[in-house]
Amino acid sequence: MGKSKKGQKEKLENVLYTLPAIVFVTMMMYIPFVMSGYYSLTEWNGISKTPKFVGFANFIDLVTGDKSYLTSLWFTMKYTIFFVIVSNILALALAVVLTKKFKGVNVYRGMFFIPYIMSMTIVGFIWKFIFTQGFSKLFETTNWGFLNLSWLGDPKLAFWAVSFVGVWQSLGFYIVLYIAGLQAVPNDVLEAAVVDGCNGRQKFFKVTLPLLGPSFTTCIFMSLTNGLKVFDIILALTKGGPGGSTYSATLQIYKVAFTDNNYGKGSAEAIIYFLVVLVITQLVLKGMSRKEVDL
Amino acid sequence: MKKKLLATVLSAAMIGSVLSGCGSSAASTDTAAAASSAAPAAAATSEAAATEESTAAATSETAAATGEVDYSKDSGEIYMFISSPEYADAINTLIDEYKEVAPNVTINYETTQNDYPTLLKAKINSGEIPDIFSSTSGKEIDTYKEYSYDLSDQPLMDTISDSVASVMASPSDGTGMYGIAIKGNYFGMVYNKDIFDEVGITAFPQTTTELEDACEKISAAGYTPFTTGYAEWWVFKHAAQSFIDAAAEDAGISTAELVTKFENGEAKIKDYPAIYDNFFNFLDLTVKYGDDKPLETDLSGEESAFGTGKAAMVVGQGAWIEGDVKSINPDINIGFDGYPVSDNADQCKVISGSDQALHVNKDSENLQATLDFVNWWYTSDTGKAWFTDVAGVVPPIKTDAESDFAIINQGNALAADEGTNDLEIIYSTDSWHQSAGEILQAYLAGTNDKDETCSQLEAKWQEIDGAAE
Repeated sequence: MGKSKKGQKEKLENVLYTLPAIVFVTMMMYIPFVMSGYYSLTEWNGISKTPKFVGFANFIDLVTGDKSYLTSLWFTMKYTIFFVIVSNILALALAVVLTKKFKGVNVYRGMFFIPYIMSMTIVGFIWKFIFTQGFSKLFETTNWGFLNLSWLGDPKLAFWAVSFVGVWQSLGFYIVLYIAGLQAVPNDVLEAAVVDGCNGRQKFFKVTLPLLGPSFTTCIFMSLTNGLKVFDIILALTKGGPGGSTYSATLQIYKVAFTDNNYGKGSAEAIIYFLVVLVITQLVLKGMSRKEVDL
Repeated sequence: MKKKLLATVLSAAMIGSVLSGCGSSAASTDTAAAASSAAPAAAATSEAAATEESTAAATSETAAATGEVDYSKDSGEIYMFISSPEYADAINTLIDEYKEVAPNVTINYETTQNDYPTLLKAKINSGEIPDIFSSTSGKEIDTYKEYSYDLSDQPLMDTISDSVASVMASPSDGTGMYGIAIKGNYFGMVYNKDIFDEVGITAFPQTTTELEDACEKISAAGYTPFTTGYAEWWVFKHAAQSFIDAAAEDAGISTAELVTKFENGEAKIKDYPAIYDNFFNFLDLTVKYGDDKPLETDLSGEESAFGTGKAAMVVGQGAWIEGDVKSINPDINIGFDGYPVSDNADQCKVISGSDQALHVNKDSENLQATLDFVNWWYTSDTGKAWFTDVAGVVPPIKTDAESDFAIINQGNALAADEGTNDLEIIYSTDSWHQSAGEILQAYLAGTNDKDETCSQLEAKWQEIDGAAE
């Protein structure tokens, strides 16, 4: 009798504690999501009082119309692949270095983390300044050819410039996650490996790396979602230019909905993008969790 | 096992964040932008509230449109949310002045640097329509028509200048007066007179041939002939409009008709040499004789290249850069003229008009007070003097007031002397202008050749500004 009463109370507590979160998440995420689902079926400029229902015309237009949406999807894929691979490899390498004991290690850790706590927009403007004014001044003194390239003005180079800044900005975050992972690898296992005759490289690749599984899952997943969501850095650096060559999917959606006054089509793009992201993340998640090693 | 569970929960949470990141990315950026602008707005509101605590909500009376208007009868709050933050100080002065004549009216003024249209849309959709809001003039008047009050029976009609009034009518039926302007404007080529004197050019080139000669002389003297700002999409629309005017004139139709033809897909750029040859040649020329990294130079890049005396001519700008340039070099000797668009010197004319409109919300709770305010702005002596004395802009009203600005004075003289070209940019929406700017950037970057660029422009013009309305 007393037990079930306690159970009921617990249940009630569970509901009450989660209620505020549920209310907010519903208001901020699920309702807007359903609404944009509705708007994707309409022709609406975001201003007029009456959206016009057009069925799936917006979706058909995305595939048959001009290529800008597909181009932006392709750009986002390229960016995400580059971002996930480069930021994870660099972060892991730096994390390994930064878990060694040497003078000023904490200062270095701090230095790598600072860009991450700065606002993306500010990072974007800082780098815009470096790429334009900074590089040309440096070129005058050093005469190094790559400094004289138009990093933000050439459609091919702009991709690398944007990707580089994206990696630079968020590297610190992944370093911290990897450092935490590395420190959690139990010393006795490593010692046992040494006793069994492992050399340094074997110790790292055969013991440490597999035990970092959870860190990998987290980092790859985080970098994947952050890569797919890339928006503000591009807005601050190139605004999608030059010549529309650096539109990411999110920026493209924003442009269509708010600049082109085509809210319906923008919502349709958002819905499609949601599905794309859902599939990608599910696949990656399946792949990752299968590889994880439990101690 | 526990770890697995944790990982699953963690990743579920992440999917959630992705979901919100894309499903409603538009909405979330919106809120962020709104939040960032909310802070100064809140400050402004509280300040206004502090000075006007005792405002009683009284019914506003209909003021007579004739004779002396007693503004002190008005009361209540006017919410003014407009773009053009560069005039924030001037507008605050104006509001203080209005406080003197209408002590019971509180004007909550809010302005924003970025993303004005996005924020306005968010406000309109949340039912919080500002009493006074802005858009571009011309084509966008129609977009906001169902929210805008038709001002054509208001006293300010007597003072508004014709060039401004003509762009405030609804373009779809050519009637009405759906807005007022903060300023008139001049568009044209801003140049450095001292550099031109130094290389021995006494008169600004009026034809394309003369322009090419001038470029050669200037660049031989060690200056950069052009600074272009092609990183900004709107520089292209300012530069292109004289060429489109010329194309329309050559074809014997009005510019508005030509734009409509393009929108309906009835015209091909190739058939208009003023655009197909002259405009593209002009782009090539400005890149050849322009900045080292044309697609990286933006407005501030142009201003610094011109202000520091490196560049002789500024492409795609107008009266608004003079203040900034003067702050770099107060002694700069600025010249102003039209674009040389063809071999016909008569077609080289400056462009005047207003590319911005302030709308009055027709469903405003305080409509009469709002109308009285804009009428006072345009008809009272204080309001009229504000344009030249406080804001330092091209007055959008009929006035003889002198200006301190070289571009405005030379623009006035040239306009009186040889007339002006049509303000072409208002016949299209900014959505189209932005897309066009990006297509032209791709042309300059070498991604597309001229014919590909033209066919893209034609297609986009139809898609964005064509059948939709």
